[in-house]
Amino acid sequence: MKKTKLENWLFGFLFAVIFAAGNAWSAQDEINNSGFAWKDGAEIYAKVCAYCHEAQVGHEVQVGPQIRHRKLPITYIRTVVRNGNRAMPSFRSSEIDDESLEKLANFLSQK
Amino acid sequence: MTSQYIALPKGVSEETFDAAIHDFRKVLGDASVLTSAEQLAPYIKTMMPVSDAEHTPSAALLATTVEQIQKIVAICNQYKVPIWMISTGKNLGYGSAAPAERGQVVLDLKRMNRILEVDKDLAFALVEPGVTYQQLYDHIKEHKLGLWLSMPAPSAIAGPVGNTLDRGVGYTPYGEQFLFACGMEVVLANGEVLRTGMGSMPNSNTWQVFKWGYGPYLDGIFTQSNYGIVTKFGFWLMPEPPAFKPFVIQYQHEEDIVEIVETIRPLRISGVIPNAVVIAHALYEAPVKAKRSDYVSGPGSIPDEAVYRIMKDHKLGIWNVYAALYGTQEQIDVNWSIVTQAFSQSGKAKILTEQEAADDPAFVYRAKLMRGDMTLTEFSLYNWRGGGGSMWFAPVSQARGSETLKQMALTKQILAKHGLDYSGEFIVGMRDMHHIVDVLYDKTDPEQTKAAYQCFDELLTEFSARGYGTYRVNTAFMDKVAETYGPVQRNVHKTLKKALDPNGILAPGKSGIR
Ligand SMILES: Cc1cc2nc3c(=O)[nH]c(=O)nc-3n(C[C@H](O)[C@H](O)[C@H](O)COP(=O)(O)OP(=O)(O)OC[C@H]3O[C@@H](n4cnc5c(N)ncnc54)[C@H](O)[C@@H]3O)c2cc1C
Repeated sequence: MKKTKLENWLFGFLFAVIFAAGNAWSAQDEINNSGFAWKDGAEIYAKVCAYCHEAQVGHEVQVGPQIRHRKLPITYIRTVVRNGNRAMPSFRSSEIDDESLEKLANFLSQK
Repeated sequence: MTSQYIALPKGVSEETFDAAIHDFRKVLGDASVLTSAEQLAPYIKTMMPVSDAEHTPSAALLATTVEQIQKIVAICNQYKVPIWMISTGKNLGYGSAAPAERGQVVLDLKRMNRILEVDKDLAFALVEPGVTYQQLYDHIKEHKLGLWLSMPAPSAIAGPVGNTLDRGVGYTPYGEQFLFACGMEVVLANGEVLRTGMGSMPNSNTWQVFKWGYGPYLDGIFTQSNYGIVTKFGFWLMPEPPAFKPFVIQYQHEEDIVEIVETIRPLRISGVIPNAVVIAHALYEAPVKAKRSDYVSGPGSIPDEAVYRIMKDHKLGIWNVYAALYGTQEQIDVNWSIVTQAFSQSGKAKILTEQEAADDPAFVYRAKLMRGDMTLTEFSLYNWRGGGGSMWFAPVSQARGSETLKQMALTKQILAKHGLDYSGEFIVGMRDMHHIVDVLYDKTDPEQTKAAYQCFDELLTEFSARGYGTYRVNTAFMDKVAETYGPVQRNVHKTLKKALDPNGILAPGKSGIR
């Protein structure tokens, strides 16, 4: 028992040291471009949905049902995207954020 | 009193968890700490035949920097709260984005998604965990870098970090992903940041070009493991070849797998065929072209007679060997004559190229996978049974004809006993095969779900009894598979765990390690 406590204490101590010293790499972390963000609903559709929900160029397979031009209610789209549905995987807000999902839903219902 | 959380970590009181969440919010901001049922819904759906409750997370944290992650592990150590790491979180058929154990906090790194470097000359990339193959593909195209990706079939929505850390496979000559990994940055449970290999040396510029560094090679212990949080990942990319020739070779009888493997192995080991070849059974390819319900109804596995009808109607072999040649046209011409000579000897093989098969949907998506183009066509597997149930059964086999036939027959027999179909393929390494079987079932049907669980359990038992080990498994069966590798390995894994993560805060249960 005693040993474990000591180990835990050492562990905590190490933290303090690491944070005080920073780490050799933090400077480099700052320099880079910011991460990826979706441009618009059309982009999300093309780069995620369409692979399954639209017949692909060159052959006729379509894995899932058509979702464009069906006037699917926004709440329905949001529910299916977030929860998934049977074969359809769920998509997290870290992948498609709420705002982008809204744009996607609008794109899907456009004529 | 009802809890404000949908689950709690094992052994952590609500009060303690509250305090941890409060601290997580201080580090990440409210919007990046998810705790409501609605916010966590996408982390709950899995394809496994167990109750979702067993894998329900208590929260999800959306971190974007190394510094945030260091602070998160400090909080986890303080409150003994376990986290489950995901990168792009599309581990479908292996547990998806849900944690191994109920109540773990998902550390979701999808938003940590910068492409840090792609070197055209040395053909390598350094990326953060949230980068998808699609993102990298677009980057390479946009900057005309002339490099090809090797990705798994869920390409566009998955990513190189998660796929390689789980030791996944792709279909180009770089298909065995971890062979082409080069350098990681890892946040350890004590908050230290390790760069593996040459990356440990300040100012080194060889991190992504030389794998081994100095002293014991460490990268391996961070794959299929819970010893650290990978925050940067380097890997090699294949220069786009001047010419590419995909082809498919079809055979008509299940026993022909022996001839196929005996013919392929020397070509693969010598590098005449350089890529991760796939030998796909008719039932793996059928969903791209056919509906199960058009051929069979009622319970039970599909009879052979129906499979033969599908083959005839949809121009499939019982085995379909997808492979490709890469290089200059001259190189391809030479290798093509070696390949065709080898496969023509018995008179059983039907060899098709783009000329004959350009309109065949199975060929088209396989060709895309072999040149690293985005496609999700393989998701049609889930239309076979419907209902969204799937587990990958993934035993390793020698690349020896007699062995592959044995494994196929045993798998098919056990699946049939439980009323399930053999949707299998072999992915050819040089000396090994990943025997990959999608155990498909209707998760909305409680009977089939129960059968799928029992079937999978029996597959693992029977295979390990014969010395056939599984290379990767879903979170519901990780302990069982860990057992099959024996007590000594388990002990070593545990010893490392204790040394690197004494409070057990990183993904307890991953690969059966706690
Ligand atoms: C139709 C279909 C076909 C498939 N075909 C293939 C295939 O060809 N090849 C193949 O390999 N798989 C295949 N899969 C399985 C799976 O979808 C892929 O392997 C996918 O790449 C894994 O998801 P991901 O890349 O998002 O990784 P993630 O889900 O992000 O990560 C996978 C695992 O790695 C660990 N991990 C992730 N990030 C970190 C980190 N930063 N630090 C420490 N540990 C971490 C975690 O344990 C996590 O569960 C297929 C699935 C489907 C549905």
